[in-house]
Amino acid sequence: MRTSILVLSLLLSTVCAANESAWDKAHFNYQMFCQGCHTPDGSGANSVPRLKGHVGTFLQTEEGREYLVRVPGSATSSLDNEELAAVLNWILIEFSGDSLAENYEPYKVDEIGRLRRNPLNEVVLYRSKLLADIAHRGDAKQ
Amino acid sequence: MKFLDTLFEQKSRQLAQRSSRRGMLKGLGTLLVGGAAIPLLPVARASAAASKPAEEGDPNSCDYWRYCAIDGFLCGCCGGSANTCPPGTEMSPITWIGTCRNPVDGRNYVISYNDCCGKSSCGACLCQRDEGDRPPYRSDKTNDVNWCLGTSSAVYHCSTAVVVGVAFED
Repeated sequence: MRTSILVLSLLLSTVCAANESAWDKAHFNYQMFCQGCHTPDGSGANSVPRLKGHVGTFLQTEEGREYLVRVPGSATSSLDNEELAAVLNWILIEFSGDSLAENYEPYKVDEIGRLRRNPLNEVVLYRSKLLADIAHRGDAKQ
Repeated sequence: MKFLDTLFEQKSRQLAQRSSRRGMLKGLGTLLVGGAAIPLLPVARASAAASKPAEEGDPNSCDYWRYCAIDGFLCGCCGGSANTCPPGTEMSPITWIGTCRNPVDGRNYVISYNDCCGKSSCGACLCQRDEGDRPPYRSDKTNDVNWCLGTSSAVYHCSTAVVVGVAFED
């Protein structure tokens, strides 16, 4: 009985350590590939869009969800699909604040692979249109 | 209903006969204490490392460890320091980021080369080591561009080298 509990504790802590390691790796990749422009806390600056308290909004529509993968900074980065999925999920959890729905679906690796094959060329106008659509949906619901 | 009463009574009695009351406490205690103690074992914990590492060397010299990927004038020679901008300049929040190995502890750290902007070029202690620098078609990894973005003035003065984290190593 005692042995099995000890084994269970060991397993639990191994799982926790693995999760912590994946989390640290995603944070490191954010620092190396995103933070230079998006700033350490996701606030952004000048023309660099704000992630903090906002980025989860994009997951309200399918096009918005695809946008976060198709922006050149994501799609054409040197991160592989698994790393990019981890970084985007890290960003969603770390920076969304109240903008992320509780029942959101984290990005999956094969989804990332499919979407990033089609990177956006024009970002600024597309982004404004997406956000206008999302705001419009919000108004219609109320 | 009588059937349920009998069933639960029987099962409760069986459970009481087979298990000791303290056994449950003992098991729970082992789980809690064991589970809490195991993370103290020496496993890789990058997040636990201090973001301000032990350092040696001269921060006003180009061979200082943090400057492995720098391209610019050292702010320490311009009235600021490796972490701070000289008076009258503004630190750009948008930066060029790389990693450097700290010879004191042998670990790699994430370094943010925030430029200081708003005054003309400092001109002192030019340092160009460029490790990890990539051509301009990788715009996020090239240090040849002016990183005075996000500041009120785009005029470059000098560069800092701020330790912002520990590099992740598999």
